[in-house]
Amino acid sequence: MGRKKKKASKPWCWYCNREFDDEKILIQHQKAKHFKCHICHKKLYTGPGLSIHCMQVHKEAIDKVPNSLPNRSNIEIEIYGMEGIPPEDVKEHEKQKTGGGKGSDSDDDEPAAKRKATPALLGPGPSQVNPGILPTPMGQMPPGMYPAHMQMNHMMPHFMHSPRMMMPGMRPLFPAASVQTSTPNKPTFPAYSNATISAPPTTSNSDPKENGDVRPPAANTCPLVTSTGAGSKIIHPPEDVSLEEIRARNPKYRPKPKPDTHIQSAPAMITPTSQAEVAAHMSAAVAAARQQAMRRPLMQPVVLQQPVRVGVPVSVPPVMGMLPVMPQFNLMRPLQPDNSTI
Amino acid sequence: MFNQLGGGNSNPNKDVEVASPPEDTVSALEFSPPSVPQTFLVAGSWDCRVRCWEVEASGKTVLKAVQGMDGPILDVAWHDDGSKVFMASTDKSVKCWDLASNQTMQVAAHDAPVKTCHWIKAPNYTCLMTASWDKTLKFWDTRSSVPIMTMNLTERCYCADVDYPMAVVGTADRGICVYTLEGKPAEFKRVESPLKYQHRCIAIFKDKKTKQPTGFALGSVEGRVAIQYVTPANPKDNFTFKCHRSAGTTAGYQDIYAVNDVAFHPAHGTLATVGSDGSFSFWDKDARTKLKSSELIDQPLTKCAFNHNGQIFAYAVGYDWSKVSIYQLQLGHEHYNQAKKNYIFLRPCYEDLKPRST
Repeated sequence: MGRKKKKASKPWCWYCNREFDDEKILIQHQKAKHFKCHICHKKLYTGPGLSIHCMQVHKEAIDKVPNSLPNRSNIEIEIYGMEGIPPEDVKEHEKQKTGGGKGSDSDDDEPAAKRKATPALLGPGPSQVNPGILPTPMGQMPPGMYPAHMQMNHMMPHFMHSPRMMMPGMRPLFPAASVQTSTPNKPTFPAYSNATISAPPTTSNSDPKENGDVRPPAANTCPLVTSTGAGSKIIHPPEDVSLEEIRARNPKYRPKPKPDTHIQSAPAMITPTSQAEVAAHMSAAVAAARQQAMRRPLMQPVVLQQPVRVGVPVSVPPVMGMLPVMPQFNLMRPLQPDNSTI
Repeated sequence: MFNQLGGGNSNPNKDVEVASPPEDTVSALEFSPPSVPQTFLVAGSWDCRVRCWEVEASGKTVLKAVQGMDGPILDVAWHDDGSKVFMASTDKSVKCWDLASNQTMQVAAHDAPVKTCHWIKAPNYTCLMTASWDKTLKFWDTRSSVPIMTMNLTERCYCADVDYPMAVVGTADRGICVYTLEGKPAEFKRVESPLKYQHRCIAIFKDKKTKQPTGFALGSVEGRVAIQYVTPANPKDNFTFKCHRSAGTTAGYQDIYAVNDVAFHPAHGTLATVGSDGSFSFWDKDARTKLKSSELIDQPLTKCAFNHNGQIFAYAVGYDWSKVSIYQLQLGHEHYNQAKKNYIFLRPCYEDLKPRST
């Protein structure tokens, strides 16, 4: 137990999961990164402060905190340094820090039902807060988060002090995959683990083709891609769905509603049966019709057409009757010596 | 003429531009097989069309034919005899395009958009392999409307490759399944993903000596490629490497981009990757080194391909939606600059891809 003090948890930024050595620096970071007005560059103190400033001074509504992780962009929450962080997020953060992969072992004394227990519901729940210690009037404080509260919470959950530490970013250029594959690293950041470990992307299978309208998934409900945590960001839409699927949802790319049977190829092949599919066809048709009114003809207007459509007029069918056969070409540009054997 | 308009950074690598490029982003790019004396390049696009160019020895390209489908194209594949091209579309079907007659015929159907199609030529059979977001993998005799074989995938197919006798499919749940095609297609092995982020592209590589497929390269959205042997002699043979990431940090962040495509050089066994960062890179997986990285282009690179003898490297440039934010989707206007043109560039690459001398 002597090593208890070894590692007090560092202050961290709720908006981007970055850690700091000092809460002062954290506050500077938040002011510069998250609470700065994008119009006049004034640094505000909180998210709501920024939003009010923008509304009153510039008449502009801001709906999310700049530079924040997708599930942490709520501008309404008042956070200043480490103050005001939703308790469940604090817990989550600690948990991640100590390396207990979600859903793995980590039954320390944290029940699985740590989700969103409101203080009122806490009573029956097993040891959400150490038994005997009632939630403080300030709402549940994360155990051991603030030194000021430590006297109330003597029982620091030991999982916070697990000696296992992470060393982010210390990977060699070509790490042997054997190390990497089999043991998924302990996640450093909660959001990161959301993306990869906790929930394999099973959610968004409300087949993309049939999604009438594109509703960004509520944060936390679907696996996310973007969040790597501090130091880097993945340039990809937050949702962990392929770019092609996201793109294909756009009305512009809806397949043209087909005539129900294809004359030429076997008619049995296409049997749109499910209601959803029919609905998708209909909505696609509606969308297409709507667009037709106002759009340059990028795709052909929606007209039922013959199954075989020859796009741009073409000179000759290609493969036949072509120019003289080239030798094995060493293409383009007068080439250097060349073609040595392998 | 193009360069005058281009304003510098659309072609910083000074490569040969393919004439009459698609009107929307290129989603598939394939050179004709060695069975055809000439070189043809086929590209599928989000504009719902597939185009076929002839590439002359001078580097000049002539658009020869265009075909369309009812939805954006997601993949194309050549028949081994070079007479036909298969086109997979979001309209849930695959069509066979007979180049000589310029006719198309539907040859496969799924319950969801078809993400990939590959032609399989085995000694005892030929068939078309299609994989879809409907979580199935199907094998088709192109003369029948019913698949010869259907296999379930654990999730939606995101990428696949075929090199007889091996096929490999990457899925949305970061699954990888290897199939053997000998005799008839059968599942061979499920592989735990070496990557922690969404799979995006996959390519099979051959053993240097036996010339048989032995493994694959897998690219993810997190600027990383894994080199994975199906049955590694030594577990240390498998490794991953980072790529397509911003060099410095912008405002404290390093930008990490998706690896949009990966392809192996047919002669050297080295590989090329293209990314959303707007660059391509050549790598030697055996020496574990980078051979070359390109200048940055002002748009993402979406696809790449080598011609059959490895003289030409083709890459497609166009917007890939990687910068669409959730809010832009919500508001219905996506980060998409209509003014920017789509390109396909050709580059002599035989020398650049020579492995490090050993």
